[in-house]
Amino acid sequence: MATKPMELLQGTLDVLVLRTLAWGSMHGYAVSRWIHQRTDGVLEIEDAPLYKALHRLERAGFVSAEWGLSENNRRARYYALTSAGRRQLHAEESAWRRYAEAVFKVLEPA
Amino acid sequence: MSARRKRFFRVPWRTARQIRADVDEELRFHLDMRVDALVALGLAPDAAHTRAMQEFGDLDDARRYIGAVDRDIEAAERRSEIMKDFWHDVGYAARKLRATPAFTLAAIVTLALGVGANTAIFSVVNRVLLQPLPFPQAERLARVVYTQQGHGDAGTPMDLVDNNAHATKFVGFSMMEGTTANLIRDNNDAERVQGVRVGANWFTLLRVKPIVGRFFTEGEDKHDAANVAVIGEQLWKRDFGADTSVVGKSVRINSQPYTIIGVVAGDQRYPITVELWMTKRYTAQESSDGSRGARWLGVLARVKDDVPVADADAEVTRISEVMEKQFPEQFRERRAHIKTVQQYLTGDMRKPLLVMLGAVAFVLLIACANVANLLLVRATAREGEMAIRTALGAGRARLVRQLMTESLLLSACGSVVGLGVAKFGMYELLNRAPQNLPLVAGASLDGGALAITAILAVVTGLIFGILPATQVRKDDLAAALRAGARGTRTRPSANRMKRVIVVAEVALAVTLLTGAGLLLHSFTNLMSVDTGFRPEGVLSMKLVLPARTYDSTATRNFVRALETRVRALPGVQSVGVSDNVPLDGSGNDFTFAIRGRSHVRASDEPSTAVRLVTSDFFNTIGIPVLSGRSVGVEDQPGTAKVVVVNRTFAKRFFPNESAVGQAIYLGWGRDSTGESRQIVGIVGDVHDAALADQPEPIVYTPMMQTPGQGLSILIRSKGAPAALAAPMREVVRALDREVPVYSVQTMEERVGSSVGQQRFYATLIGIFAAVALVLSAVGLYGVIAYAVSQRTHELGVRVALGATADRISRMVIGEGLILTAIGAAIGIVGSVVAGRLVTTLLFGVTPLDPVTIGVVVGVLALVATLASWLPARRASKVDPLIAMRGD
Repeated sequence: MATKPMELLQGTLDVLVLRTLAWGSMHGYAVSRWIHQRTDGVLEIEDAPLYKALHRLERAGFVSAEWGLSENNRRARYYALTSAGRRQLHAEESAWRRYAEAVFKVLEPA
Repeated sequence: MSARRKRFFRVPWRTARQIRADVDEELRFHLDMRVDALVALGLAPDAAHTRAMQEFGDLDDARRYIGAVDRDIEAAERRSEIMKDFWHDVGYAARKLRATPAFTLAAIVTLALGVGANTAIFSVVNRVLLQPLPFPQAERLARVVYTQQGHGDAGTPMDLVDNNAHATKFVGFSMMEGTTANLIRDNNDAERVQGVRVGANWFTLLRVKPIVGRFFTEGEDKHDAANVAVIGEQLWKRDFGADTSVVGKSVRINSQPYTIIGVVAGDQRYPITVELWMTKRYTAQESSDGSRGARWLGVLARVKDDVPVADADAEVTRISEVMEKQFPEQFRERRAHIKTVQQYLTGDMRKPLLVMLGAVAFVLLIACANVANLLLVRATAREGEMAIRTALGAGRARLVRQLMTESLLLSACGSVVGLGVAKFGMYELLNRAPQNLPLVAGASLDGGALAITAILAVVTGLIFGILPATQVRKDDLAAALRAGARGTRTRPSANRMKRVIVVAEVALAVTLLTGAGLLLHSFTNLMSVDTGFRPEGVLSMKLVLPARTYDSTATRNFVRALETRVRALPGVQSVGVSDNVPLDGSGNDFTFAIRGRSHVRASDEPSTAVRLVTSDFFNTIGIPVLSGRSVGVEDQPGTAKVVVVNRTFAKRFFPNESAVGQAIYLGWGRDSTGESRQIVGIVGDVHDAALADQPEPIVYTPMMQTPGQGLSILIRSKGAPAALAAPMREVVRALDREVPVYSVQTMEERVGSSVGQQRFYATLIGIFAAVALVLSAVGLYGVIAYAVSQRTHELGVRVALGATADRISRMVIGEGLILTAIGAAIGIVGSVVAGRLVTTLLFGVTPLDPVTIGVVVGVLALVATLASWLPARRASKVDPLIAMRGD
């Protein structure tokens, strides 16, 4: 495995964001940290595309957003999965799994 | 979720600037959190900031992108909330309307009547006055109309020559001569068809294309050209099975062989009632200066596409002035103007149709007033509800929007039902419309009518919805709340408004009723005009003998044989033949000179209608002989030429002496011998063209002495005249099967249809006025009844203090009558104005006819008393105990 972080595949970020929010409503910074910790820094994820994804998903109706108070008492924008978002996550997840399985089948020695 | 949340706890809409601020705040929060975390890990603040920015990536791009996405989200939410509010309002309005079915039904029926009547009448107006005739650039297609010394005049063949020589603003001119055509195809019986002889450029000027075949080409109106004819689409379908092989087919028209060359589309015919077009060929005499005195042609013209129609009009007038200078004798004071074909066709209908449109508009206004009143009553009853909604945070604008939604929903329902009313109304209207109203039959509920209905729905909804909506006020909602949701509190301004509306309604109804009364009065006047003959029991019909096979002798023989055979039919009392039927008004006028009086210039000679009659004509139709003798069987070709004149002729031309015994020279082609005709008798007047016209002078000449080929046969029957129609046809068929009988009608039918238009308009406006009367009575009743129910407490106190039932009901009725009186006074002022507008439609009444206005006011007073009497009775039965306890 290369030491340099890998570039993200198109559309992958959306699934990651949805999956993250499936744990519960959280603000953008929390989403960013969560993804970093879960991927152990293997994936190179900047925060700018992450926020773009959050708002794009809001426009698509997959997440809803509202202002709330953060753990240190500051106004923060909290995101939560909508039921449409939950369905979307489900669909994307299974698509990803099938994709990954197919790739593994090719890569693994017979 | 956010959208639903906003429904209950409205979050104000964010501006673009606020959105930007929110985006900045969100991103700043992220960066601050990250910097704090890195500092906690031991980085220097500066390094931590640099690191956080690095991790973030392109901050400006993200900010722009997120801002744009958020604005999209905001706009979408705004849209969806407006739609949700709208559907919520509609649903709420529908529930509210369903909760009061009596009110809703009353409002919908009222509106449906108003909207339906307007849609129906508009459809007719649209077809007749607004939609152009289906010719390319129809607005440049015109008739040249002539007047001479103030009287209507027709064209001479020389007008074509003059116009072609001098006009520069026209594409061209073409002349037409109306004719009846006896059409025979194959071995069928002759059929009488409305035909016309026209110039070869006729269809070129109309700019229409044939459905099949071709139209006339240049030169086909020359003398030696082959006989060709164009037929109309209806005739083509009726007689030729819409077979395209009709082109080239030979038929016989007026006993001459013709070849059909083309078919013209049914709606592109001109004139619109014609089914057969042939070319007009002029004789050498007709196309010489000698024919300038003979006027019998119609002139069609097309104005050049780039010339204003007004300029073209000025040009024909100028040409007529030039021609008067050249031919001062024949063309003295003769002027030309152009009228577009549409004006020419529908000019007479413009006024009555616009009056009808005004009348239905009044009906709609009254309907709106009624519904506004109903809504006002409702609004008062709902003050409690409004107060509660305001207390819960509904803004005034929101409540007004809710009320307007209710009004518009109501008007939309009313308009949908109104379309049904319109459809039914159109059906009845078209069935009852007299045949001689051009274009009316083509009216239908088309896109234009639907559009007008939609506009009416919105406009009426706004009109009657705006008043109750203005009653929503914030300042006194607290008071309304205190009064409780029962809504028994009355605001004086609302009551005043209801009264104003009723007064307006009554005023409108009086104006409309007066207009209707004047037209109905005119109609009864018209019906009571003495026709001058006895129409009952008389059957009439027409036929035209082909001039080619019927010379004078043959015509005489035909008429003699016809009279003999008809007289022999069972049930026939007498039979007379003329060249015209009274009330038909299609005769020709001729100038004449009186023997023994000094010679006058040709253009100053008096003129008279001339009719050809057989000896039994007068007693058959029932025109009395006043002095001298009638036309007799002894007046034959060989004997001295005689005439009988009508009373108007005798009075006008022989005011101080007896007309009988005098002699006249008729300026008639057939009188070129210069032989005078002695007046042997005077007969009663008949209304020749229309009952509304004054009788004009008529000279009757014996048909045997001067026979004509166009015959009108009149039969007085012992029984029902219509039963003679079939045997009569048989008689004519036996005499000549190439001669079709047409226009078979009893004289009573002719009298009826001669006033058909007046009857039609009077009936229409009568119906509108009746609807208006009923609606305003209902409005009055509503207001008085409501006022009584509001005053129950007060009335109870009055009764308790000793007011008698009689006194109470007088008080209530008095209130109704005062409103009616104010409305009537305003309405009479309105009817003075309206009367002016309908003056030209009146007959025998002045616009300020006191009888009509008196009757209208009387009827209204009666209706108003009745409308107030019902609530008054309830008021007089108020039980003071219950009334006062109920408060």
